[in-house]
Amino acid sequence: MRYLRLIKYFMLSSAQEDLAYRANFFIGLLHSLLNLIAGVLGLAVLFGQVETLNGWSFAATLALLGVYLVVSALRGLFIGPSLEALAGMEGDIWSGRFDFALLRPIDTQFLVSLRQWRWFALIDLALGVGVLSVAVTQLGQALSVGQVSAFLCTMFASVAVLYAILLIFTALVFWGPGMLFTWVFDAIFQLARYPIGVYPGWLQFALTWIIPVAVLTTIPAQALTGDITPGVLIVSVALATLLLIGASVLFRVGLRRYKSASS
Amino acid sequence: MNWRGGWALVKRSWSSWLQYRSFFFVLAFGWMIPPLIYLFVWSTAAQSGTVGGMTPAEFVAYYLVLILVNQLTYAQTNWTVGDVIRAGDLNAWLLRPLPPLFHTLSAEIAGKVVMMAFVIPAALILALVLRPTLNATPLQVVLFVPALMLAWLLRFFWGYWLACLAFWATRADALLAVQDALVFLLSGVVAPIGLLPPFMQVAARVLPFYYMVGFPVEVLTGHLNIADLLSGFVIQAAWTIIAIFLYCRLWRAGLLRYAAVGG
Repeated sequence: MRYLRLIKYFMLSSAQEDLAYRANFFIGLLHSLLNLIAGVLGLAVLFGQVETLNGWSFAATLALLGVYLVVSALRGLFIGPSLEALAGMEGDIWSGRFDFALLRPIDTQFLVSLRQWRWFALIDLALGVGVLSVAVTQLGQALSVGQVSAFLCTMFASVAVLYAILLIFTALVFWGPGMLFTWVFDAIFQLARYPIGVYPGWLQFALTWIIPVAVLTTIPAQALTGDITPGVLIVSVALATLLLIGASVLFRVGLRRYKSASS
Repeated sequence: MNWRGGWALVKRSWSSWLQYRSFFFVLAFGWMIPPLIYLFVWSTAAQSGTVGGMTPAEFVAYYLVLILVNQLTYAQTNWTVGDVIRAGDLNAWLLRPLPPLFHTLSAEIAGKVVMMAFVIPAALILALVLRPTLNATPLQVVLFVPALMLAWLLRFFWGYWLACLAFWATRADALLAVQDALVFLLSGVVAPIGLLPPFMQVAARVLPFYYMVGFPVEVLTGHLNIADLLSGFVIQAAWTIIAIFLYCRLWRAGLLRYAAVGG
C-alpha cells in the first residue's frame, strides 16, 4: 500500500514539473502527430504497391504500428524518464545525487524505475490506442474473448521485456558508459515498427533471442489477429519473467559496485 | 578569407571529436536504421518478382547507397547552430578573426570523417551479406559526383537558414522536426519516390527534400532518362541557390538583431 501511495506522489510531483512548461505541450503534440503521420503514410505507401507483406495484411501491420506506438508511449510515460534521471547525461549517478536515492527507506529499484513521469506521453498513448482501434475495425472480424485476453497478456509481457532490457542497460552504467547501450537499443527498437518476418534469418534470430524485439510488437499484434499458438504465448510470458528477474539481479549486483561520484 | 585559420579550426574540431568517437558511432548507427528497415521491407515486398520495376537486389543497392548519401549530406549543424545562437556561445565565434561559417564547416568536416569511419565498413559488410546488384554506367558514376556535392550544399545551407531562425524564435526546433518528417517521407527514405502515391510524388519532385538525398542515389542506381536527369539537376541547383540566398539574408538580418545572452 505504501508503495502505491508513493507512486501517486511521484506522479503528482512530476505533473507539477510538467505543468510549469506548458508551451512544451504543443511541441510535444506536434512531434507526436508527425510521428503518427509518418508511420501511417509509410504503411500507406507500402500497401499502395503490394497486397500483403510476407503474409501481413495492411490491417495487421497497422495493428502492429499501434502496438509499437502504445509500447513506446508507455516507455516515454515513466520507464524512460525515470531511468534517464538515474543514468542519463547529468543524471543522478553522474552527479553523485544517487547517494540520496540510496538513503531513502524504500527499495532502490522501485524508486529509480517509477519516480519520474512525463505526462505529455499520454498524447502518444491516446494516438497509439486510436491506431489500434482503427486497425481492429479494419481487420473486419469480431474479436473473441480469447484473442483479447491473449493480446493483453502479450502486451504485459511486451512492456515487461522492454522495462527489463532498459533496466539491464541502465545497470551497465555501474560498469561503464551505460547510456551508450541505451542509445544503441533505441536504434534497434525502431526495427519493431515492422513484423519481425521481413528481416533476414540471422537478424530474426538476433531480434528474437538476443535482444527480444519480437516480443515487443510482433507477438502482441499476432495475438490480436489470432495468429498465435498457446506455446508462443507461454514462451513470451516466461521470457518476460526471466528477463525481469535477471535485470533485477544485475541491478542489485551493480548497486554494490557503486561508489559515490561526489566529494 | 582566412584559410589557414579555417584549417586549424577543422583540425581542432576533428581531434576533439575523435575523443568521442564511440558517441558518434552510436549516432551514425541510429541514422542508418530507418533506411535499413525500408531496405528489408521493400526487398521482402519484392520477394516474388519486382515492385515498381525494382528487384530485391536493386532495392538493396538503392538503400545501401542511400545510407551513405544520407550520412554524407546529413546537416548536423541544423541543430547545433541554433543552440549556439540561443545559448549565446555565438559571441566567441564572432570575436575570432575568421567568418563564423568556418566553425560550422569545421564541425561538418570533422563529423563526417568520424562517422564515415563507421558507416563505410558497415555498408561494405551489409553489401557482402545482402548482395546488391548495381549496374551503373560510367556516365552515371560521373554524374553522381556533382549530384552528391549539390545535395550536400543544399542540405547544409537549408539547415543553416532554418537554424538562423533561432535569432527570432526560441522554438525553431519545432520547424526542424517538421522538416525531418518531410525528409523521411519525400526524400526517398520511405520508398524510392517513383513508388509514392501521385500527390506525394508531385510534392517530392517540387520540394527540395528529394534533391538532398534521393536524387543522387537515383542518379547512381536508378533508370533516370535524360529528361529526368536534366530537370533534376536544374531543380537541385535552383533550390541550392535559394537556400544560400536565404542563409545570407537571414544571417545578416539576424546578426543585427542579435543581443547576446550570457557572458
